[in-house]
Amino acid sequence: MTPSNENGLSKQEIFADGFWHNNTIFAQLLGMCPLLGVTTSAENGFWMGFATLCVLVGSNLIVSVVRDYIPSEVRIPAYIVIIASLVTVVDLSMNAWMHDMYLVLGLFIPLIVVNCAILGRAEAFASKNSISDSFMDAVGMGFGFIFALVLLGAVREIFGQGQLFGFAIFGSDYPDVLMFILPPGAFIALGFILAGVNLLNLRLKAKKEAEAAAVTDESVVAS
Amino acid sequence: MISFDRAQQKIALSLFVVALVATLLLALMDKATHEPIAEAERAALHKSLVQVLPEYKNDPLHDMFEFPLSTAQTLKVYPSRDKEGKVIAYAWEQIAPDGYSGSIRILMGVRVSGEIVAIRVTSHKETPGLGDGITKDEKWLNSFVDKTLKNTKWFVKKDGGDFDQFTGATVTPRAVVKAVQQGLTMYQTNQNALLKAFNEAQEKIMQADIKAAGDKQTEKKSGGKTQ
Repeated sequence: MTPSNENGLSKQEIFADGFWHNNTIFAQLLGMCPLLGVTTSAENGFWMGFATLCVLVGSNLIVSVVRDYIPSEVRIPAYIVIIASLVTVVDLSMNAWMHDMYLVLGLFIPLIVVNCAILGRAEAFASKNSISDSFMDAVGMGFGFIFALVLLGAVREIFGQGQLFGFAIFGSDYPDVLMFILPPGAFIALGFILAGVNLLNLRLKAKKEAEAAAVTDESVVAS
Repeated sequence: MISFDRAQQKIALSLFVVALVATLLLALMDKATHEPIAEAERAALHKSLVQVLPEYKNDPLHDMFEFPLSTAQTLKVYPSRDKEGKVIAYAWEQIAPDGYSGSIRILMGVRVSGEIVAIRVTSHKETPGLGDGITKDEKWLNSFVDKTLKNTKWFVKKDGGDFDQFTGATVTPRAVVKAVQQGLTMYQTNQNALLKAFNEAQEKIMQADIKAAGDKQTEKKSGGKTQ
């Protein structure tokens, strides 16, 4: 695949960057409001993430289409209008066709407008890159966001209520641990997840360095 | 006279176009979702009505009438009728203003004799996993069945009453219990007025139905939307 964007990244690298290396939650720590607000269960987390994914893909696509026509002085207000309109579209659609979930997520859907991750991607990526690259970036970032929300929702649902996606996994006499359902539980669970992600990243880095060192050792021996 | 250079004109024009397109999109979307949203809300109300009214032979949504509680406030009442058309129960929405976070709306079904058929919470903003037991905890919801003003102490157990509170959430069930009790008191004082309002409204609905049926025949159009 030929690199076409300013950083010279392939589509897979853009996706991996959005999903993992530059993950909205794990790496950038953006979008904390919906993260802490709705992740009391894995299902809530998923639909919140899905709504955000829709807005993100839409805004990245539109911004990368119009990027050459919007003067840079007014690009931020223009992006905000685009994002706010898309959020309203998602809000109305969920109200009409997913009424039950809409009642649960309620206020957090309109609040996607102020999720700085979305404006951040429009400004940092879509305004400088091609349509296909911007789409890939939105998909990577969006799925990374869903992944983080579902993971945190699952942890809180498992420890808080002994359930996963509404199914009891510890039996019905599991004593609910209220702390995990309340906001402090979200912070604590997020802290442990971040520690785990950092540990994993450190391990991967060490492994890569060891491999690189092994390669140079071989080349030294060979010469 | 103020004059704008080309760059300024371009800025104004581009913002104008973005806003115009966004407005058009939202207008279209609003039109497209208007009917489905109303339909989803009706369906949600119907789902709750089925649970709080004893086996009705009519359409409680169609027979809905407005009952003036005070000069400023009217109550939408959904009557449940038996085969002969006699009212056997009413359902209406009772609002508990003192939930843990905001109002809790409760749909309560009450038999003509003053016993509760069932209650369901239709909207709330209580803490997920704590206060929202009022929507999920069937045992708790069922503890309202057949309760009257006389046979029950209308408090949570912590306050010396008959209803369970939840672990970590007392405010929410307390608010619901209080609101349901107020609903029953309202019914007791307005029992006769309610029946009168129902009969009056029923005549209007029937006339409107006849008119709508007539319109349909003459115009071949469905203009028969009765409120």
